[in-house]
Amino acid sequence: MDKVQLLLSLSIALFAIGLLGVIVRRNLLVMLMCMELMLNGVNLSLVTFAHQMGQAVGAVLVFLIFVVATAEIAVAIPIVLLLVKRKHSLDIGAYNDLKG
Amino acid sequence: MGALTWIVVLPLIGFLVNGLAGNTLGKRFVSVVGCGLPILSFLIAAGSVAALLAGGSTPRIETVFTWAVIGGRAFEIAFYLDRLSAVMVLIVTGVGSLIHVYSTGYMHDDESYARFFAYLNLFLFFMLLLVLGRSALVLFVGWEGVGLASYLLIGFWFEDPEKAAAGKKAFITNRIGDAGFLLGMFLMYYAVGTLDMDRINAAFAAGVPAGVSASLIGVLLFIGASGKSAQIPLHVWLPDAMAGPTPVSALIHAATMVTAGVYLVARLSGIFAHAEFASQVVATVGVLTAFFAATVALVQTDIKRVLAYSTISQLGFMFLAAGVGAYGVAVFHVVTHAFFKACLFLGAGSVIHAMSGEQDIRKMGALAKKIPITFATFAVSTAAIAGLPPLSGFFSKDEILWFAYGSSFGGSPWLLILASATALLTAFYMFRLLWLTFFGPPRMDEEVAHHIHESPWSMTGVLIVLALLAALGGFFSIPHFLEPMLPLPQIRPEAQSFHGPLLWIAIGLGVGGLLLAAYFYGNNAARATRLKPSFEPVHKLLSGKYYIDELYEAVLGRPLTWISEKIFLRIGDKFLIDGSLDGLAALAQRGAGRLSKLQTGNLHLYAFLVLAGIVGALIWSWRNG
Amino acid sequence: MINSLLAGLDTLLLVVFAAGALIGALLMIVLRQPMRVATALISTMVFLGGIYGLLGVHFIAAFQVLIYVGAVMVFMVYVIMMLDPRDPAIQSRFSKLLVPGVVGFVCLIFVLVGATWKGAPAAPAVTREAFGLQQFAVAFLREYWLQFELTSVLLVAAIVAAVAVVKLNRRG
Repeated sequence: MDKVQLLLSLSIALFAIGLLGVIVRRNLLVMLMCMELMLNGVNLSLVTFAHQMGQAVGAVLVFLIFVVATAEIAVAIPIVLLLVKRKHSLDIGAYNDLKG
Repeated sequence: MGALTWIVVLPLIGFLVNGLAGNTLGKRFVSVVGCGLPILSFLIAAGSVAALLAGGSTPRIETVFTWAVIGGRAFEIAFYLDRLSAVMVLIVTGVGSLIHVYSTGYMHDDESYARFFAYLNLFLFFMLLLVLGRSALVLFVGWEGVGLASYLLIGFWFEDPEKAAAGKKAFITNRIGDAGFLLGMFLMYYAVGTLDMDRINAAFAAGVPAGVSASLIGVLLFIGASGKSAQIPLHVWLPDAMAGPTPVSALIHAATMVTAGVYLVARLSGIFAHAEFASQVVATVGVLTAFFAATVALVQTDIKRVLAYSTISQLGFMFLAAGVGAYGVAVFHVVTHAFFKACLFLGAGSVIHAMSGEQDIRKMGALAKKIPITFATFAVSTAAIAGLPPLSGFFSKDEILWFAYGSSFGGSPWLLILASATALLTAFYMFRLLWLTFFGPPRMDEEVAHHIHESPWSMTGVLIVLALLAALGGFFSIPHFLEPMLPLPQIRPEAQSFHGPLLWIAIGLGVGGLLLAAYFYGNNAARATRLKPSFEPVHKLLSGKYYIDELYEAVLGRPLTWISEKIFLRIGDKFLIDGSLDGLAALAQRGAGRLSKLQTGNLHLYAFLVLAGIVGALIWSWRNG
Repeated sequence: MINSLLAGLDTLLLVVFAAGALIGALLMIVLRQPMRVATALISTMVFLGGIYGLLGVHFIAAFQVLIYVGAVMVFMVYVIMMLDPRDPAIQSRFSKLLVPGVVGFVCLIFVLVGATWKGAPAAPAVTREAFGLQQFAVAFLREYWLQFELTSVLLVAAIVAAVAVVKLNRRG
C-alpha cells in the first residue's frame, strides 16, 4: 500500500476508535478526550489530501479545525464543571435526566 | 327594467328598507314604505294588464337575465304576463295591499312592527315571482320563498314555543310536498327540454312527448300542490298556522299562498288536459278534502280555526273544479274566495281586537250592535261563502257544482253529491259561526265587555272594500275572461238538461244551511246544546280532527325519533365518528408513548445510534453508487 | 543511494509513527484512570505531529503540538486533576453497549476502508515544498479572510462563556 492509503486507513481507524470510545467509556472526561481523538483523525485525513493535491486549502481547514477544537474544549470543560457540581459524579449513568 | 320586473322588485325593496332600517326610522315611515310599495306595484300591474288587453292579449314576456347556461341549454329568469297571471297578479297585489293597510291598524301596538312589514313585503315579492314567473324554476323559487315567509310569519311571536313549532310544522309539511314538485319538474324537463311553462304547454298540446307519462307528472305536481294548498294528507299545517297574526292568516293562508297550488295546476293545464288519471286524483282528493274539512269545521270553537278548516274545504272545491278540466272556474273561485275569505279573516281579527284577544266563540255573543261595521262585513262575506245569490260565492260555487257533475272530463254524480253535501255543511257552519259570535246573550267577562270597541278606520275601511268586492265580484265572469287560453270542458250530453235544476239546488243548499244554523244556534244555541250528548262520539272524533295529527306522530314521528336516537346518534355519531376520531387520537398518543421510550437519556445509546446511522448511510450509498 | 536510503528512512519513520498513534488510540479506550488516558492521547497527538512533519507541512505540525497538546490537553489535565475523585463508585469502565459498540466499530471500519481503498484519487506530481508557510498565510489573507475573522469571533464567544461560568461558579 502506498503512503496515502496508509494514512487514510490510519485516519479512519482513529476516527472509529474515537467513536467507539464515546460509546463504551463511562467517564465523562474520557468521553471528551475521545471526541478530541475523532477530530484528530479527521485532521489527519485533511492533511493527507492536502499533501496529495498540493493545495493550501487543506491546511487552512486544518487550522480552522484547531481553532474550533480549542473553543469547543474551552466551553465544554466549564459545562462539565457545572454538571459535576450538581450531580457530584463523573459517571455518565447519573445524567439521564432527559429520559422520557 | 320592464314593468313586470318593477312589479316584482318593489316589494323586495320594501323588505330591505324596512328590514334593515325600519327600527330606526319609526312606525310611520315603516307604514308608508310597507304599504306604499305594494300599492305602487298594484298600480303598475293594473297598467300592465290594461296594456295587455289593449294589445290583443298576446302574452308579454320580459327576460331579466340569464341565470345559467349548461351544455347548450339556457336557464333564464323571465316574467310572463298573460290572462291567467294577470288575474293572479291583480289579486295578489290588490288584496295584498289592502291587507298591508289593515296591518297598520292591527299591529299598531306590536314592538316588532318593522319586522312584520319587512316579512309581509318579502312574502309579496316571492308570491309575485311565483305568479309572474315564466319558467317553472322561477315559480319554484317563489314557491319556496313563500314557504319561508310563511314560516317566518307564522312563528312571528317566536318567543312562544308553540307558535314557533307551528311555523316549523308548516315549513316541514310544505317541504314534503316540494319533493313531489321537484320530481315533477325533473320529468317535465326530461320530456320537453325546457322549464318554460308556456313552451311546456305548447309541447303537450301537440301530443304527449314520448317516454313520459303525463299522469305521472300530474300526480307529482299535485303532491307539491297539496303541500302548499293543504289538501289531504298534507293539510295538517294550516290549522296550526293560525298561531300567526291575523293579517298573516288572511293574506297567506286564505287569499294568496294557499292558492298557489291551484294556480300551478291551472298554469300547467296543458299537461293535465292529457293526464286523465292525474286529473281524477286531483278531483277526488279535492272533493274528499272539502267534505272532510267541512265536517271538522262543524265543531271548532276557535274563530280562526273555523275559518282555517273552511279554507281547506274551499281549496278542495277549487281542486275539484281543476280536476274536471274547468281550470277557469277554479281560478274564478280563487278570486272570489280571496275576497270573502280575506274579509272573514280580517273581520275575525277585528273581533279579536275588540274582544281584547279572546278567540273562543263560546265566550262571545251580542257583538252585532257593538261592532256594527265588523258585523255587517262579516255577515256579507258569510253569505258569500255560503253561496247565497247574487254574491260572488254563489256564482263561483254554482259553476263548480255544475262542472263537477257535467264535465265530460271526469264529471260524475257522486262528485256532485259530495260537493253538494259540503256546500250545505259550509253554509251551516259559517252561519253557526256568525250566530255564536255576534248574536245571542253576551257570554264574556265583564272586564272584556267593557273594552269592546269598533276598530280604527285602517281596519274597517279595508273590511268595507273587501265586503263590496265579495258582494259584487261575481259579476265579472272570470271563466269567460280566461276562456281563450283555458277552455271550459265539454258538457256530457246526458247532463245538459240538469243545468237549470242545479241552479235552484245550489240556492237551496245555501238557504238551507242558513235556516238550519238559525234553528240550532239561535236562542243561545239552546237546541244545539241539547243535542250534543247524543252525538258525543261523533263530536269527539270531529273535535279531534279525526286524530290525524296523532296518527302521523305515532306512525312517522316516533319511529323517526327512535331511528335518529338509536341508530344515527348512538351508532353513527357517537360510535363511528367520535369513536374513529378518539381512536386516531388515542393511536397517536399510544404511538408517541412507545416512541418516547427511545429517549432513554443515555448518551451512549445516542452515540451508538449515530454510529449505526453512519454505517447504514455509507452502506446505502455504497450500494447505490 | 543516499536518496533511496532517505526515502526508505522516510517510510520507516512513517510506519513507526503511524503504529505509535494507533497504539496510543487503542490504549485510550482501554486504560482505567483518566490521567493515563490523557497521557495516551498526548502521545497519539505527538505522533500525529510527527507524521505531519514527515508530510512536509512543518507549520501544521508545530500548530498541532502547540495548540492541541500545549493548550487543549494541558487544560484537560488540569480538569482531571481538579475533578477526578478516585471514587470507588466509578468501578466499571465500560457501558452496557460494549458489545454492540464493538460490532458497530468493526462494521464502520469495514465500510469506510472499503469505500476509500480503491477510490483514492490519482496523485498529481508534487514538489517537496509545494506549499509552505508563505502560501498558507497568503491563502488566509486572500481567500479565507472571512473565516479567519469568524474564528476570532468564535474565540471571543468561548472566552465570554468561560468567564460567565467562572462567575457562576464563584457565586454558587
